[in-house]
Amino acid sequence: MNYKILTVTKGILLMALLSFTACEIDLVTDPNNPSVGSATNNASPVEIQFLVTGLEGGNRSYYGSASQMFGAFGREVWPYFASDPRFLGDWLGSTTYNGFFGSGGTYTTPYRTVKQANVLIEAANNSTQISAQQASGALGFAKTIKAFQLTWPLLQQWNNGIRIEVEDPLNPGPRVGVDNPQAAFAEILNILDEALNDLNNAGSEFSFDLTTAFAGFDTPATFAQVNRAIAARVALYAEDYSAAQTALNASFMDMDVDDTTSDKMFIGPVHAYGNPPDAANPLFQPFDQPTARILICHPAWIEDALPNDARLNKVAQLTENLQTNSGLRDANGDLLVGEYQDVRYTDQTDDIPFIRNEELILIGAELSARSGATQAAVDAINIVRNTWGVGDYTGGTTQDELIDEILFQRRYSLWCEAGHRWVDLRRTGRLNENYVDLRDQGGLITSVARPTSEVNWDGR
Amino acid sequence: MKKHFIKNTLTLLAFMLISSALSAQFSVSGTVTADDGEPLIGVTILVKGTSVGAVTDLDGDYTVAIRQGTSATLIISYTGFRTVEREVDVNTGTLDVSLEPDIANLDEVVITGLAGGVKRANSGNAITSIEGDALSENTSPQTLDNALYGKIPGVQMTANGGAPGGGINVQLRGVSTLGAGSSQPLYIIDGVYMDNSATRNFRSFVSGAGGGSSSNNQDNVASRISDINPDEIEKIEVLKGPSAAAIYGTRANAGVIIITTKKGAAGKSKISFSQDLGYARGQNFIGFDDWDEQKIRNYFGNNAEAQLELLREAQAENRVTDWEDFFYGETPLLSNTTVSASGGNEKTQFYASGNYQTEDGIIKNTGYDRISFRANIDHKVSDFLTVKFNNNFIRTFNQRGFTGNQNNTGGSIGYAIAYLPSYIDQFQDESGNYPNHPFFGGNPVEVRDRGVNDFTVNRFISAASADLSLLTKPNMFLKVKVNGGADYVASQSLVYFPETMQFQRTQANPGDVVWGNTNALNTNIQAFAIFNADVGSLNSNTSVGLVRLDQQVDFLANRGRGLAAGQRNLNWAAVQTIQAQSEQTVTDVGIVAQEDLNWEDKIIASVGVRFDKSTLNRDQEKFYAFPKASLAANLHNFDFISSGVLSQLKVRAAYGETGGLPRFGATFEPLGAVNIDGSLGGFVGAQGVDPTLVPETASELEFGADLGFFDNRISLEATVYDKRVNDLILSLVPASSTGITSIQTNAADLQNRGFELGLGLNPVRTTNFNWFSKILVWRNVSEITRLAVPEFTTGGFGALLGTYAIAEGFSPTSVVGNPDAADGPAGKTLYGDRQPDFQYSFISEFNILQNFDLSFVLQGQSGGEAINLSAFLWDDGGTTPNWDGDDDNDGLFNGQERANAAFGEGNSGVWIEPTSYVKLREFGLYYTFSQTAIDNIGFLDRLKLGVSANNVLLWTNYGSYDPEVSNFGAQPIAGGVEVTPYPTSRRFFFHIKADF
Repeated sequence: MNYKILTVTKGILLMALLSFTACEIDLVTDPNNPSVGSATNNASPVEIQFLVTGLEGGNRSYYGSASQMFGAFGREVWPYFASDPRFLGDWLGSTTYNGFFGSGGTYTTPYRTVKQANVLIEAANNSTQISAQQASGALGFAKTIKAFQLTWPLLQQWNNGIRIEVEDPLNPGPRVGVDNPQAAFAEILNILDEALNDLNNAGSEFSFDLTTAFAGFDTPATFAQVNRAIAARVALYAEDYSAAQTALNASFMDMDVDDTTSDKMFIGPVHAYGNPPDAANPLFQPFDQPTARILICHPAWIEDALPNDARLNKVAQLTENLQTNSGLRDANGDLLVGEYQDVRYTDQTDDIPFIRNEELILIGAELSARSGATQAAVDAINIVRNTWGVGDYTGGTTQDELIDEILFQRRYSLWCEAGHRWVDLRRTGRLNENYVDLRDQGGLITSVARPTSEVNWDGR
Repeated sequence: MKKHFIKNTLTLLAFMLISSALSAQFSVSGTVTADDGEPLIGVTILVKGTSVGAVTDLDGDYTVAIRQGTSATLIISYTGFRTVEREVDVNTGTLDVSLEPDIANLDEVVITGLAGGVKRANSGNAITSIEGDALSENTSPQTLDNALYGKIPGVQMTANGGAPGGGINVQLRGVSTLGAGSSQPLYIIDGVYMDNSATRNFRSFVSGAGGGSSSNNQDNVASRISDINPDEIEKIEVLKGPSAAAIYGTRANAGVIIITTKKGAAGKSKISFSQDLGYARGQNFIGFDDWDEQKIRNYFGNNAEAQLELLREAQAENRVTDWEDFFYGETPLLSNTTVSASGGNEKTQFYASGNYQTEDGIIKNTGYDRISFRANIDHKVSDFLTVKFNNNFIRTFNQRGFTGNQNNTGGSIGYAIAYLPSYIDQFQDESGNYPNHPFFGGNPVEVRDRGVNDFTVNRFISAASADLSLLTKPNMFLKVKVNGGADYVASQSLVYFPETMQFQRTQANPGDVVWGNTNALNTNIQAFAIFNADVGSLNSNTSVGLVRLDQQVDFLANRGRGLAAGQRNLNWAAVQTIQAQSEQTVTDVGIVAQEDLNWEDKIIASVGVRFDKSTLNRDQEKFYAFPKASLAANLHNFDFISSGVLSQLKVRAAYGETGGLPRFGATFEPLGAVNIDGSLGGFVGAQGVDPTLVPETASELEFGADLGFFDNRISLEATVYDKRVNDLILSLVPASSTGITSIQTNAADLQNRGFELGLGLNPVRTTNFNWFSKILVWRNVSEITRLAVPEFTTGGFGALLGTYAIAEGFSPTSVVGNPDAADGPAGKTLYGDRQPDFQYSFISEFNILQNFDLSFVLQGQSGGEAINLSAFLWDDGGTTPNWDGDDDNDGLFNGQERANAAFGEGNSGVWIEPTSYVKLREFGLYYTFSQTAIDNIGFLDRLKLGVSANNVLLWTNYGSYDPEVSNFGAQPIAGGVEVTPYPTSRRFFFHIKADF
């Protein structure tokens, strides 16, 4: 019997030993990524740098979507995107619905960048590893980009207003600017002013590096000029024209441009693109290829142009691969042929300026027109007209006529640059068939219905 | 150190034995036969209360030595026959036994605990068992999961499409998760936790499905259960709900499928050879519209003239093509070869097999190959120690081609031909170039001929176990069982679009290749102590043990764009990127205790509890408890109910709880890496974290009755269940303005209620005609009973094209769409439910004149809806058969009318279709040569010839190839969406099987 007792004892001992070792586990932390929490808890300068560069990465994400969808709304372009009939069916239609097709790129995407900015703001405020001056620089940068990003959902939502306080995901602030988008723009302007104040306290150098996207605007003082350029645009949309003028004056606007120096029209910060793993220029496509997904210039933009307008060089006529799509037909039910491709970019690594001198000059023209400074308005208009070879303005000079002319120049100067035409016509009460060519038998969308998640959150 | 220790445990245990030698007191010998007099080979004779026994030889003879006492009880058992017990004593000498077939499989042992099971007759649960014969003997299934259709009451199985290599969504007793955890059952093979993930092939990066983001669910891959060769399986047991699956604790919410592979039997060595040879044909073609002049005018309007010119050209060159037939019309060869050897003696048994399956698809350049080698060894070291080893190497090579969704790339044949009129020239010219697709991003002929989508898996599954008897007495025993194993899956994917392809030429960097590697290793070990004792007329079985599972999954996908001509090596890419890389580490640990009580096979009770912790939980150190209890009463064993007609009357009740773990990463809030202008930055993710997250838990109450009449020639198994899943993890969707689009949180409960009926019939049982039938009917109703977040839609391609809604009071698989409806789920119009109202199957087997075996499996479902976006694309491209008809004579073509209904009137119902179907899943007719004929041939022991068919008939009103479909792979909720899938096929076979 003894052997059995021995065996039983050994067995039990073995089980006990096994239990002891088998129950031990190594706790698992995320092996693949750093956590957000580590960045907002007393961030090091290196962590601040990561967040700043990340914010730059997010800053450009809205651009393709805004150019396509807003561009289609305002008939700057037609999206010949065969992969989904809703690009044409929904975007050229007249109705929107909660969860509107393809609208996340100008809503969820910029708001993600807003979150990134808020994380950077929190990190800068909570870090003891950087000086107050260094923190101010980070705050000025973060708030400027945050304000800029907030304009995209607001432009999309317009009368629905948008949330501006979005730091706490489970307790977001109220919508601002319902039926009064100008009030929401005013809020955004306040953020820009705050940012300017931070920049003014940031010393002569940022403590972090910016990419070449901000070449020439990479110190607190020069970046403040970008801040003011954005503020000018935002104040114009807020219909706060004096604030717009003040901001414009502190921006990088340069009126000294003519047809020999047309490059100066493009002065301004850019969105930088590159080969993977960088993001690609969203508007570049090799010319005249047999593709089933291409943004085509609306024919009215060609037809309505003044003679010799050099801005028409932004597009080129297809010869081999004319585009059709069964969802794009005229009043007779005949297919509308897409003929002109955007050729502004020659490579997917090309930069895209996102606010530039030409727009600032035209904002100046509009502010002059709105303040009754007719000659100043005409002078500014003529800088643009002469740069592109269409001669001085000879039309009427009532405020409405001038605004018409300025909007016309903006249509050509800012063509397919994230949807200016749709935004301009709407803010000036001109979003109708007199200003928009609807040969595609579609309708006009004034604003996109609220995203489903927003409606659900409010209705919870 | 830890692992090292575990590895040595088995060896240690083996060395701990001290054997004893006691002289035999008396012996008994005899012959065991079936009721028709045929001797049975390999019958087990066990002396009750000992581990002493014998096995019958080729003539059915046995001799067993009883070493202690003057009398004993012999337990005589054989698979497929009812076990009998016989009293013997010193005077018995010879005992011949005749065994009755176990028609209702009452003596089969079913798993009720991690360290053992009970006879089916005593089980408190409805556990479905499928014998290996039922998997691969009738016909040659595409993959293992395919062989399960119609055989498991309570399951909903939905194939994702018809591509070679399979891919099936398996849902046991309804939906068990809303997508946070594993939606598929846990698979255990020979005690090893199997990796059943849908390993990515990264096709969606290249084809652009889902915008080329990391939407792995549009890769069209199979779950890795498909690697297992059905021929090697002895038995599959299905623990359908928590009441049975509680023993698997924290991973068992979706049920557990336990696979046992074949083992050798003592006796003469047997060599078996089987060859299946067959072909496949695509089924249920839509018949694309023929493009005549009128149709062209109707569709193209003023642009018709150019098209008409093309039509006339095509007619002149005689190349007007039925594209559906052109692409899906191949007749591929299917072949499956297996050679196995088995045998052994009383101490050692072995089973070894080699298998080669090779199948081409109904689309050129698609196919599936599998090589599988297996060696299973059982060895009795002594009366006290038994060891087992199971080893399996598998290599599969799958080419699934390009079908389904795509974006702009033209990377889907089905999608491209939706927009391809019959007269368009897509054929390769003399200089090797393919014409452009004028209405789409890619030429589908070129995609078929030049696109590469290869997936290779090399896999080892190894299991080892040791049973150690520490104490054996007539009325008690103490055993230790240790078992464990490893499942290592190394897979490699290659998806390649050469630079010459139409879409690639339009790109900044033409030519696109993604190489993916995934290495997954599961290791698990469990150790149990089992104490069994008779206390009066009560038998008590106590088991306590430990389980541990470690998982490591690493994947890396590298992408190259801008490829040199004809090159797919990454070095020849102008732009080289790491597309995705990830590592995952998971450890689960559990402690288990279970007590089973059996009172004379009359009342059988079981209680148990398992405590589990896992690193997937937010609180990684916390143990969660999963209790279970069951009670079965065999009323027919009580004197007061015994009757001649009623052979079995069992009532049973069972309760159990299981868990569902958050997926890896749900408890992290990471920054993602972003590159801009040569700088590296960190960017916030869209996922938030809930610090109070706990695992999902399911509880189930199951009642049932099992009845047998006329020696169980009629048997009825009826079960009802109420399965509730609580604390379902789902994405709380904050207002998207917060930048967070999802926080994994416990925010819902759901209930699955249903019944399962099984009627077994053996109406005729004579030597020359034996008829066996089984009718299964089951129904499951799911409902969200609590939802703590706003109602929301999920899955599909947005509301307009049909999606799913999660809303309290509605089924979690509710199919909804536009227009908005105030009282509808998530504010949308309710169009149906992905889950059917009920399902059924009818299985029949006939043995005629002893030589012929005829069998079939008919399976179907009634109700259910799917979102048919193929029809949406066909309408858009004008290929629908009735596109320019005008059914309601309103002057608007049918195709335009449907588009208008969706876009103009906002009616998503246009493409949501019912999915009721009936399928003849299996049909087989075999001839087995008589023993006399075989003896004349000489060297053969058995020869069987046959023909069979698989998925051969389909009745449905669904408007595409197959009502079973999922563009998004295996999904708990959002399957049932189709986008021009790989059509399914009918499969026909000739079989030869021989034993030597």
